[in-house]
Amino acid sequence: MSTYINVVRYHLVQRWIYLVMPMAVLAFAFGIVLTIFALTPAGPGGGHVGSVASIFCVLFVGGILTLSRSLPFGLALGVTRRSYYFGTVLLGVTLAAVYSLAITGLQAIERATGGWGLSVYYFRVTYLLNGPWYLTLLTSFVGLTLLFVFGMWFGLVYRRWNVTGLVAFIAALVTLLLGGALLATWASAWASIGHFFTSLSASGLTGLLAALTAALLVGGLATMRRVTV
Amino acid sequence: MTPTISITGLTRRYRHQTVLDDITLDIEGDCISGLLGRNGAGKTTLMRILAAQEFPSAGQVRVLGGNPVESEAVLRRTIFIREDQAFPDIKVRDAVRVASWFYPHWSGELAETLLSDFDLPPNRNIKKLSRGMRAALGIVMGLAARAEVTLFDEPYAGLDAVARQLFYDRLLADYVEHPRTVLLSTHLIDEVADLLEKVVVIDHGRIVLDAAADDVRGSAATVSGSPAAVTEFVGGRPILDSRTMASQESVVVVQSLNDFDRARARDLHLRVVPLSLQQLVVHAADRSLENVKEMSA
Repeated sequence: MSTYINVVRYHLVQRWIYLVMPMAVLAFAFGIVLTIFALTPAGPGGGHVGSVASIFCVLFVGGILTLSRSLPFGLALGVTRRSYYFGTVLLGVTLAAVYSLAITGLQAIERATGGWGLSVYYFRVTYLLNGPWYLTLLTSFVGLTLLFVFGMWFGLVYRRWNVTGLVAFIAALVTLLLGGALLATWASAWASIGHFFTSLSASGLTGLLAALTAALLVGGLATMRRVTV
Repeated sequence: MTPTISITGLTRRYRHQTVLDDITLDIEGDCISGLLGRNGAGKTTLMRILAAQEFPSAGQVRVLGGNPVESEAVLRRTIFIREDQAFPDIKVRDAVRVASWFYPHWSGELAETLLSDFDLPPNRNIKKLSRGMRAALGIVMGLAARAEVTLFDEPYAGLDAVARQLFYDRLLADYVEHPRTVLLSTHLIDEVADLLEKVVVIDHGRIVLDAAADDVRGSAATVSGSPAAVTEFVGGRPILDSRTMASQESVVVVQSLNDFDRARARDLHLRVVPLSLQQLVVHAADRSLENVKEMSA
């Protein structure tokens, strides 16, 4: 365990990437949204924006960096691949916990102030992040972890197979999605898929995301086992 | 006693080439060994495998009695400093601080001393360091870690002569106080010659020489003079190389010469110059040094 914690500390030497940047990006995007809605007030339905996604993107990039740029020195310090991987996952989970708490807290303030006095839906996202506080906390935690872990896998694929590998990896993912779509079309299953998602509650969706995260974790670990630096 | 590093039949193949070809090598406890060879001989790959950064295609590697791959017990006691180490976006001081968390015998005091000896700016981003400064940073970490197995791959690429001397001095001083197994790869051979207790020469992925440095040092000499005298002197001795220039012939004799031999050479008006380690390695790279191995065995 102490090795995992040391790996987390190693990553956090780059405070800028993991602590400052996510908050800065979120605050910046939020500032822009507030400015826009202060100038052009939201309509009767309220101002819905999706830019809370910015923090999810930053965590994805953070995940990539942990296993692309930071890996060689990490392994040079005599950390096993396994410890490095799980230490980095621990970092991701910790960051996701911190930022999901922040999102939940800010969402509560947003509700209490009538959308910051401007009817802005910034920390509330219809269907995804609009339930009770504990669901917001859970869904954003799982979502942030998912993107961080996904980023880790991207970084690892780049480490092992370079740009060619990364392109192939992305192509494989797209093919997988496309194949699923084709399959759904052939089976004329779109209606039932639509039904599945609309009837799926936010908590059900969170469960689905958690399962996906677990799958990504396994994929990443398998890629990690033979990575060289 | 089990050797600190034990390599058996190690082969590493990449798609188009065999970088390490059936290497077998033992390095016993506390000593400073030199891993010498030309660029691309396989030195870095060998060390990367010892540090579990790379995997063997075949064969077995044991460090401190165990397989280093995914072994916290082995890796925690091993440090590998390489010339082309990639760093994240961090400062000199951060790198040293991070390294101190991972090595149980880390000496913060030594690290501080070395940082100032090498004039390293602690608050500078590693990406902004010159090549020599980056090498110095590696040396600081490699020595301060006091790891039982210390692997230095070309540790002073880009360092000036003064800094290199500083490295030799510090390495030796700290080694005397805290003996450990140091493996040093380099092609500045004559500079480190006095430091080494064991010499391993690797060429095209094969070990061509593996001997105690003292045995190697006196094991060959260049004899030059008139062709007739040289031929008479050499007689049946094993030779490594011979070349004729104008009326002079010079022959590399692979045999330690005794006083009688030297007196005879003087009578024949021959010049006898012992081969330096570097010259030996050059010859070793030319051909397999079977003769030398036999002589020093």
